[in-house]
Parts: sequence; structure tokens; C-alpha cells
Amino acid sequence: MKNARKNAWRMLGEWNIPSAPGNERLALTFISEALQPLGSRMAAFETAVSEAVMNAMEHGTQYQPGTSVMLQVLASPTSLMVRIHNQGGQRSKPVAEPDLEAKLAGLQSPRGWGLFLIRNLVDEMQISEDDQNHVVELVMHLKAPRTSNQPSAEQSKQHARDTSCSQEES
Amino acid sequence: MSQEHVKMNVRHISPNASIIDIQGDFSAVAEPILMQAYAEASTPPTRAIILNFTDLAYMNSSGIGLLVTLLIQAKRQKQQVMAYGLNQHYHHIFELTRLTDMIKIHATEAETIAAAKRL
Repeated sequence: MKNARKNAWRMLGEWNIPSAPGNERLALTFISEALQPLGSRMAAFETAVSEAVMNAMEHGTQYQPGTSVMLQVLASPTSLMVRIHNQGGQRSKPVAEPDLEAKLAGLQSPRGWGLFLIRNLVDEMQISEDDQNHVVELVMHLKAPRTSNQPSAEQSKQHARDTSCSQEES
Repeated sequence: MSQEHVKMNVRHISPNASIIDIQGDFSAVAEPILMQAYAEASTPPTRAIILNFTDLAYMNSSGIGLLVTLLIQAKRQKQQVMAYGLNQHYHHIFELTRLTDMIKIHATEAETIAAAKRL
């Protein structure tokens, strides 16, 4: 987050999304235009944002009627940030890293992938909270770092070409 | 089978294999539809359950959880779960979550059916 903090952030928009199951999709309709500069990385950022909004609604406002989650989109010359803010709910608790084999063995719930996805899909994530407020800041750089988890377009094309062969061999 | 944002259709392509076509949003609301589709698809002696994601519009972490639940059920029935039609983004998510270790991903329906026949 240090690099992001050095940037001068400019507010692009702010929305209050009513807390209700499925409304993370509504949130995406508001912010999608602002995320266009991310190009091929936009889908990853959208998934991360929708997971953070869903967490805020499910665990923060707990889908209480009349509550909402605030969404802000900010831009710097090098990055985009989405800030998700909710009031109420419980403080975050440590959660076990999701492990597919443990889930298949019944040792973990089949669910619990949200935070894992967020962490792995964005360039930076920061969570701050007190007894009343819970704020998640997600940052994606306009140019993907070399260490990004997201495959390059050429890698993906090659992967698509190779997939059926490698899968069938396994 | 449908709810507001998701539809599923089951095709029995052989005695051993069925395809579930998934159209729309694959999230928590899809659970009863998926379970109903799976029950319809897995009539004995089905050994391959093929998920067609060609018309997938959206999948979230709840959808990933649903796939884990499906894998648990398929494992009990000694069935192999396969998939095709995933776009680059969701393929990446399958890799991150290691679903690709358990669900064999193919490029096309024809390749998937061919692989199912070899089971």
C-alpha cells in the first residue's frame, strides 16, 4: 500500500448500494465504466470487488433492510482503487486458508473462498476497522507487475491450446 | 430448471455421461438448481458429469463452494467431473482454487465427450 499512498487519488464516483443478496452485481454495474482502463485485468478486479461487497453485506450489514454499503472509485496516474465501506457487524476473525483437499475431505466448509480470491486477484489490499466501521481498499495498477498471478494474453492462448492435451494425458 | 438469473439444462449424451448446460449466474441462488440438475444427470451408470460453462455470465465464491459440494457428491458416486467453455478469467480462478486438479477442463464439447468415453 506504500506506493499507492504516495499517489494523489482522485475520486471518480461514490455510490451507496442497498444491502441485499445479489446486490454485489448491482455494484459492478456502477463501477464497470471506471475500471475500463484496466483492460484484460478488469475481470479480475470486478471479481475481487464483488467479493468484498458481498462480504460487507453478508458479514457487515448482514443484509439488514435499510442498510447499505458505500462504494468509492478513485484513480491515480498509475492505479485504480475501489474502497468498500460498511458500518456495523462484527470485527474480522482470522479464517483458515481454504484448502480444496481439506474441503473435499469434509475438514473445511465448501465455502470460504471470498477473501482468498480477493487477495489473489488484486495488486494491493488493505483492511481497516474499528467497532463501527469496516473499510476495505483494493488497488489494481494500470500496468500489471511482472509477478502478477494473471497470465498474459499470450500465455493464456498457449494454455488454451495445450489444455486438452495435458488434461487428457493426466 | 431456472431461477431469476440462472438456468440449467441436462443432456444425457450416453449411458455413461451427461452434460449440464449452465446459463447465467453461478452463485448461491444456483444451489437448488444445480443439485436438481446433478440428480437428473447422474442416473446410473453415469460416470462423467460434464459442466458446460459456455454461457456462464458470472461466478462468485459461493459458486466455487457449490462446485466443491458437487465434487464431494460426485466422488461418493465414483464419478468424474469435467468442464468446458470456461473463459480466460474463470479458468484462472479454477487454477487459483486448484479446482483444475479435480475437474478436467477441455476446450470444446467434442473433446470433453471424447475424454468421457475413455473413462
